[in-house]
Amino acid sequence: MTVELFNQEFEGIVGHLKSYILRITASIADAEDIVHDTYLKALDKLHTFRGDASLKTWLFTIASNLAKDNLRAQKRWTENVTDITKEAALNNKQFFQEAMNIRMTSPYGQYEAKEHIAFCFTCISKSLPLEQQLCVFLKEVYEFKVSEITSILNTTEAMVKYYLHTGRSKMINIFDGRCALINKEGVCHQCSELNGIFNPKQNTQEELMKIDLVKEAEKGDKEHLFDLRMQVLREIDPFKSKASELQLHHLEHNRQVMEKYLEKSED
Amino acid sequence: MNRLITLLTITMMTTTTMAQNGKAITVKKTFSRETSVSINIKADASIIWALLTNAADYPRWNSTVVAIDGKIALNEKINLKSTLDTSRTFKLAIKEFETNKRLVWGDAMGKRIFTLTQNANGEITFAMSEKIGGPMFPLFAKMIPSFDQSFEQFASDLKKESEAIMEAK
Repeated sequence: MTVELFNQEFEGIVGHLKSYILRITASIADAEDIVHDTYLKALDKLHTFRGDASLKTWLFTIASNLAKDNLRAQKRWTENVTDITKEAALNNKQFFQEAMNIRMTSPYGQYEAKEHIAFCFTCISKSLPLEQQLCVFLKEVYEFKVSEITSILNTTEAMVKYYLHTGRSKMINIFDGRCALINKEGVCHQCSELNGIFNPKQNTQEELMKIDLVKEAEKGDKEHLFDLRMQVLREIDPFKSKASELQLHHLEHNRQVMEKYLEKSED
Repeated sequence: MNRLITLLTITMMTTTTMAQNGKAITVKKTFSRETSVSINIKADASIIWALLTNAADYPRWNSTVVAIDGKIALNEKINLKSTLDTSRTFKLAIKEFETNKRLVWGDAMGKRIFTLTQNANGEITFAMSEKIGGPMFPLFAKMIPSFDQSFEQFASDLKKESEAIMEAK
């Protein structure tokens, strides 16, 4: 493959690559660094790319390996991340001032519940064991086949199936218990609460009912609701969407809060 | 005499067949009691092993386990709560850990042995046995509930979960 062709192909893949790394690290800085390092490494090793796997698979392999080195050293987040970070945000005037400023002034500062659904999944997925998190994103959001994921993560097909199954099951259980969008007894109402704050003139319930995940919640098929949630993530580029600046600001807040929270819990 | 040998052989073969179909067998002696079960599973040994050694994940797939705290790894200790007796927490040491083959945990009262054996047809035979006993065993043996149903459920749950994972696309 020529460098020119590689650069052309990379342009077509970089959006997915960057959003994948953001979602598994929850760090804008890490996403940018890792994607940059992936490009350089791939360019350096271009002569070894034989085309056995697709370029996308190859790039995701390099990026995943770079990300994993960092991520293995870090503690996993907790399932109740949204409770912990909400409490921190409520006690942080500056966070809300900044968020409102973004909302009022940025063309990428819109609030949409769908964007928050994607954001929320990113945060809660960090409570999964690393391999489960990676497999769920690679299959459900970035639509790699099981055989491709075995190559990306350098493991067996049996283990990819195990990580996918357990990761999906755990996330389904978490959202079933927590998410008020799909369960009236759910403890987390952030999507609707934030809609009330950022879009005070909207009828929140009406807006939520435009989302398939919410519309079909009454049917109660947990697997199907999870698939609809993954559909939301597939449709959103967290760096380019109309809500990107607002959600990235929120993500950075959550990352910092969780870092401190996990450090404290070690003491 | 030949008829007696034939009858004994058939009985032993039948017992073995029943054991591999997920039916528990308990052998009671004066100072010990041993329950065992085995079942054939159409799944990769690594999947079955991953399920057996992920402590936090047990309650999701195993209806006989309320919770396991700790790490299932050699020389580690776990706290296990079973549906057999939810008032008790068993503090167990991981005594043997041979990846994809053999796991043993236990305490002073006894030990539980898990084995995975690859069959010629590609299936895995999962076997689980537990022997409890000691010099004081006759004094409290009647207070310990039967393990048979719990063992059968454990094996059945493991088979169901392993095969579901294996069949996923």
